[in-house]
Amino acid sequence: MDRRMLSFLVLTIGMISAPAGLRAQEDRVAQLAKEVGDRGWIVFAARAENETWDLFLMRPDGSDRRNVTNTPDYEEGGPRFSPDGKRLLYRRFAKGTVISHDLWGFQGDLMIADADGSNPIQIGGDREFPWASWSPDGKQIACLTPRGIQIVDLATREVVRDLPRKGIYQQLFWSPDGRWFCGVANARILWTVVRMDAETGDLNIVHEFQSCTPDWFPDSKHIIFPSRPAGQDGYGFTQLWMSDGEGKEARMIYGEDGYHIYGGALSPDGEYVLFTRCAKDGGGSEDSGAPICVMRMAEAPAIGGPSEALRKVHPEAKDAAVLQLVAGWEPCWTYAEIGDRK
Amino acid sequence: MRIVSTVAVSVLAFLCVSCAKRSQTDAVDPNVTTRGSIEVTAELAEIRGDLIDDPMYDYAHVMKYEVLQVHRGTVDKDVIYVGHYNPAEPRSSVADARVQEIGGNVKQFRVGDVHRMALEVPIDDYYMGGIINKYFGEVNDPIYWAVWTDKAAK
Repeated sequence: MDRRMLSFLVLTIGMISAPAGLRAQEDRVAQLAKEVGDRGWIVFAARAENETWDLFLMRPDGSDRRNVTNTPDYEEGGPRFSPDGKRLLYRRFAKGTVISHDLWGFQGDLMIADADGSNPIQIGGDREFPWASWSPDGKQIACLTPRGIQIVDLATREVVRDLPRKGIYQQLFWSPDGRWFCGVANARILWTVVRMDAETGDLNIVHEFQSCTPDWFPDSKHIIFPSRPAGQDGYGFTQLWMSDGEGKEARMIYGEDGYHIYGGALSPDGEYVLFTRCAKDGGGSEDSGAPICVMRMAEAPAIGGPSEALRKVHPEAKDAAVLQLVAGWEPCWTYAEIGDRK
Repeated sequence: MRIVSTVAVSVLAFLCVSCAKRSQTDAVDPNVTTRGSIEVTAELAEIRGDLIDDPMYDYAHVMKYEVLQVHRGTVDKDVIYVGHYNPAEPRSSVADARVQEIGGNVKQFRVGDVHRMALEVPIDDYYMGGIINKYFGEVNDPIYWAVWTDKAAK
C-alpha cells in the first residue's frame, strides 16, 4: 500500500476511534459514579467561599456537597469519621494558618463533632493531643507525642496507657481491629512506613524510602500509602501504593506521571479507593488542595494519562475508570447515615 | 620624658583595645549557656551525606563532633553525634512551626569549624521529624539534639 495512503488511513481510523474511546471512558466513569452515588458520604477539607479551609460532606459521586463547619474565623482540616460514622475528629487552626502537609497533626486544636459537623467540641488546647486517631470503639484516641504514643480516654481525657514511639514521627493511625498502629518513622532510613503492635510496641518495616501518610485497609491487614519510588527522572512523582502489614508484598494502586497522588483511603468495604491528584508535591494543603478521585480497587494497579515512563515500569497496569471530584484534601469515607440523609 | 609618656599612653591604648576585643569574642550568648541540659564546645569532624535544602520537607541531619570542652551536664565520650535541624538554613532563621525553640549564629556547617552548643539527649525526646542518620547501624551512641549552635574559637 502506498505510504501516504496508509498514513491517511491510520489518521482517519484514529480520528474515528479516539472520540469513541473517549466516550467509552466517559461511560465507564459515569457507571462508576452511579455505582458509588448512594454509598455513604465523603468528608474532606476544602477552601470555602469565605476563603478559609472548612469541612465538607458530599456523596461519593460528588453530589449533595455541603459545608458542615462554615467557620470564617478558623481553618479546619484532617477530618476522620469515627468507626461507627457518627462523629468527626479533625483539627482547627487559627485563621490564616498555612496548613503544612507534614505538620497539621500537631498544629492547632483537636476538635470532635457530630458527623454532620454539629456540636463541635474543642479537646484540649493548641498543639495538644497531636496526631489523634480513633480507637476501634471510638472511646479512646491514640496520640503521637515526642515522648511516646499516648492512649487517651475521651470521657476523662486522661492518658490511660503509653508506649515508646520507636522513631514514628507523624501520621499515626490505629487499625480498625485495634491490634496495630501504622505511621511514618525513622527506621533504617527516614520516610519509612511502619507497623507497630499496639499491645507490645514491636515494630516492623512495611515500606522504606520516600513513603508517608499511611492508612489502614478495613481488614487491618493491609496498609495504603503514597510513595515516590527511586529510579524516576529527576524529582519523580508520588504514586499510591499498598502493602500487607508485614511489608512482604507491596504493589502500586495508582500512578500518573505529572501528578503526585496523596490522600489514599478506602471505602468501608475496601471496594473503592479515594485519593487526591496534585501537580505539586505534598497534596496541596498549603494552597487549595487537589481534585479528589474515586477508583475501584479491582482495577488496580492502574495508570492515568500517557505516563510513558511509568507504563514501562508497570506494564501490567490498567486504564481504570477514575471519577474526578472537587478539589479537597485528606478525604475520608463512611457508609453510615448522616443526620436524616441516607 | 615626653617619649616615655607617649610610649606609656600607646601601651595603655593598645591594652584597652586588646581588652575590648577580647571581651567581645569571649562574650557568650546566654541562649547557649541557659538552654538545653548540656553545653559543649566541639569541633565538627564529619558531615556524612549531602545537606538537603528542600523547602517542602524538614530534616535533622546527624553530624559527628569531637568534644573539646564540656561546660554543663555530663558527656562521657570524646566523640558525639549531633542532629541539626534543617542544616542548610542559617541557625538564626531556622526556627519554624515544627521546631520553635532553636537558633544560634552559625550560618553554614563546615567540617573543622568549632561550635559551642546547647544540647539535649536523646534526640527523639525533643524532636519529632525525619532524621538523616548516616551512622545508623554503625554507631549505637545516643544522638544529641542541637538546641543552640554558636561559632566558637578553638
